[in-house]
Amino acid sequence: MNGLLGFYEGGKSFLHGRNPTLKLVSLMVPMLAVTLAFDPWTPVLFFGLALLVLCVLGRVPLRHVARPLALVFMLSALGLLVSNAFFYDPQEGTSVTVLWEGGPLRLTLEGLRVGFALTMRTMAIVTLSLLFVATTDPTDFVLSLIQHAHFPFRLGYGILVAYRFLPMWRSELDLIRSAHRIRGVGERTSLRGRWEQLRRYAVPLLAGAIRKAERVSIAMDSKAFGALPKRTYYRRLDLTRADWAMLAVSALVTLFILLILANAGLLVGYGVVPGD
Amino acid sequence: MPLIEIHDLSVRYPRTAQKALEHVSFSVEQGETWLLLGPSGSGKSTLGLCLAGLIPHSVPAAMEGQILLDGRDAAEMSVGTRTAQIGMVFQDPEAQFCMLTVEDEVAFGLENLAIPYEEMGGRISEALAIVGLGERRHERVDRLSGGQKQRLALACALARRPAILFLDEPTANLDPASRREFFRLLGKLREEQPSLTILLIEHILDDLIDLIDRVLLLAPGGTVFGEGTPGDMLDSRGDELDRMGIWLPQVTALGHKLRAAGLPVARLPLMVEEAASALESLLVQHTLARPGTIPDTGQEARTPMAIRVDDLTFGYRGSAEVLHKISLDVPSGSLFAIVGPNGSGKTTLASHFADVLRPPVGRVFLLGDDIAGLTTGQVTERVGYVFQNPEHQFVEQQVDDELAYSLRVRHRSAAEIEATVGQLLRSFGLEAHRRRNPFALSQGQKRRLSVATMLAVGQRILVLDEPTFGQDRDTARALMERLCGLHREGVTVVVITHDMQLVADYMEQVAVLVDGRIRFAGSTQALFADQALLQEASLRALPLHDLAREMGVRFADGFLPMSIRDWFPFFGLETGSTPRSAACAREDAS
Repeated sequence: MNGLLGFYEGGKSFLHGRNPTLKLVSLMVPMLAVTLAFDPWTPVLFFGLALLVLCVLGRVPLRHVARPLALVFMLSALGLLVSNAFFYDPQEGTSVTVLWEGGPLRLTLEGLRVGFALTMRTMAIVTLSLLFVATTDPTDFVLSLIQHAHFPFRLGYGILVAYRFLPMWRSELDLIRSAHRIRGVGERTSLRGRWEQLRRYAVPLLAGAIRKAERVSIAMDSKAFGALPKRTYYRRLDLTRADWAMLAVSALVTLFILLILANAGLLVGYGVVPGD
Repeated sequence: MPLIEIHDLSVRYPRTAQKALEHVSFSVEQGETWLLLGPSGSGKSTLGLCLAGLIPHSVPAAMEGQILLDGRDAAEMSVGTRTAQIGMVFQDPEAQFCMLTVEDEVAFGLENLAIPYEEMGGRISEALAIVGLGERRHERVDRLSGGQKQRLALACALARRPAILFLDEPTANLDPASRREFFRLLGKLREEQPSLTILLIEHILDDLIDLIDRVLLLAPGGTVFGEGTPGDMLDSRGDELDRMGIWLPQVTALGHKLRAAGLPVARLPLMVEEAASALESLLVQHTLARPGTIPDTGQEARTPMAIRVDDLTFGYRGSAEVLHKISLDVPSGSLFAIVGPNGSGKTTLASHFADVLRPPVGRVFLLGDDIAGLTTGQVTERVGYVFQNPEHQFVEQQVDDELAYSLRVRHRSAAEIEATVGQLLRSFGLEAHRRRNPFALSQGQKRRLSVATMLAVGQRILVLDEPTFGQDRDTARALMERLCGLHREGVTVVVITHDMQLVADYMEQVAVLVDGRIRFAGSTQALFADQALLQEASLRALPLHDLAREMGVRFADGFLPMSIRDWFPFFGLETGSTPRSAACAREDAS
């Protein structure tokens, strides 16, 4: 467990140094732009740009993200591209270009295009998320939400504690599984068996978790957590000019790309349903 | 004026009939170090929770009486002011931190007190330097060892500059080397900050008794049983302490037993050096022939070996080797300990004995058969493996079903199941609890149940991972006696441990593992005679062995006396009729 979902890459870079809350907002702008577009060009451009930013401004080596990205690509290509390419159902009256036909299957150019657009949309959104996840220390993220987004600090620290305990629960679960295995409990496949197994794993896991949670909460109270109306912060995640600049540049670049695509007549979506 | 004054304090937890503390009064002067001593259930931890104001604010309990801090009524102080005065360190190193890195964790306690940002950096460095963690400031908390975590907990408390430190069994979950390190640190702290007042709860007193100014003795039910200097308390209340199951420092226990045997021990010693000078004049002989042991020749006849490991090397996928070319023989019917520092591969090695990890062909043999050729069912019929946390192994919702489980999956007859379960319930003292949920049992009962379940199908080899870890001494001892019973019935018992007292008291043979290699395998006596090896393996000699070296006492063959009973002949006393060779007869070493 390296970080959120195991993708956090420690290090120093322009992106690592940015305020997490503003980073999140800055990334939501292009994400929104990609979500609203239906043409294949918008996601391709944003995907390429996000990858470039990740490597240059985030200093995340390409090979670290290549595997998860390839996996996402294959999955969505298999699901979205293939199904759309073969089963594209055009509205009545529109003509389609059939590239290949065999039995019930019909490969169409239009279907291929829609499938490709959807696949690239997934890729662009995943890469944009990766931009955030790979360059943001989860503790900083929660602290920044508390300090800048009025996130309640009690809840915030609760999340941090839970996050700290995740790897422990994982190894605990592994232990319980081998302990049960040598008692002769086989891994079940039937629905009833699975339910039974879930209960068997959950009871010791929960018993341990509740005990630990109680202890941690007493330890936190003993350090006067929440005793004073105001607390100070050692990690101060100030909003700098660079942070605001990042937001501004993000918005401008997004707008710029959309304008260029619109001018070239390639932009579809934004109120215009494809095929209309 | 005393710093802490407690008047007539009584506490009762909800839904319990008995009070946790009853009419407790005492007062502590600034700069004193107090030891709170008493059996489990005598309200020691409750006292700490009251002092810190966690009762009644965080932990629901009814409290009567008065606590004065520096002359002010604590009940009238705000929670903030009050917790600022008291730094707490708790027992469980895994459950007292809430942040990811060392620095953040120390800062957390300061942020809550709204210490200005500018001041925090300096305070953090200072506190980490005191506990020797300055280098690890940016380390993640979960990468620290148990001992380092407890030192971090101390740093968190110190950074807040409290007037009082309350340490609730800070070393109960640590290995012996880390425990000693922690108390060395506490000693240094006491010298450097003489105004700091310390209240400490501990069970094993050997490394800490010289730090203590006063002892508060609590009896079961939370009443004060006595108060005074450690010398006075251990000397005058030695018998009662013994009866309550409280462990005296080993040299004190020796003095106590010698006095009971009629020797004129003027004052019970607390420390090894004291004991050496106090007992020197009473010594009759420095060297003795070791009383007859069963010759080792018998063991050859008992082949095949219960467990035989032949050139086993193992590494978890993607990480360095954990075990290097291990070869080891565990004779049938032996009491065998595997010891070594944390991370030396003890558990990994033992995991290969019970199919938790599967060894390659030709590396591990159970009663002569290659384990790689056996099914999990066949392995678990021969070997019972008891995990460190008994709860991990429970699969049923009732004690008797738990015991029957392994038999049911093997489709044994109802009559046989009934008979075996009844017999196990009786011999493990669980008859009264047969309908209860395993998770609702006490810690000692859980442990007994987990051992019993591992014997249900008639296993002849029992492997236990840290069976006494984090337990109080009474529970630990009861368990060890039960294991001795099994040993007498011919079961091979293998124990992974770093409790050297347990090894000295009960184990016949020991293997020492350092960095995944076997550094020693042989008799327990031979291990304790080899000081260089003990140090290399960061194990530690026991105080009685230190005393023997100090006084020049040993057997003619170079071995040291292993238990108090062994010491008797050196003072010209009879040992009694118990033959020396029966390992389990050594259990009076306390």
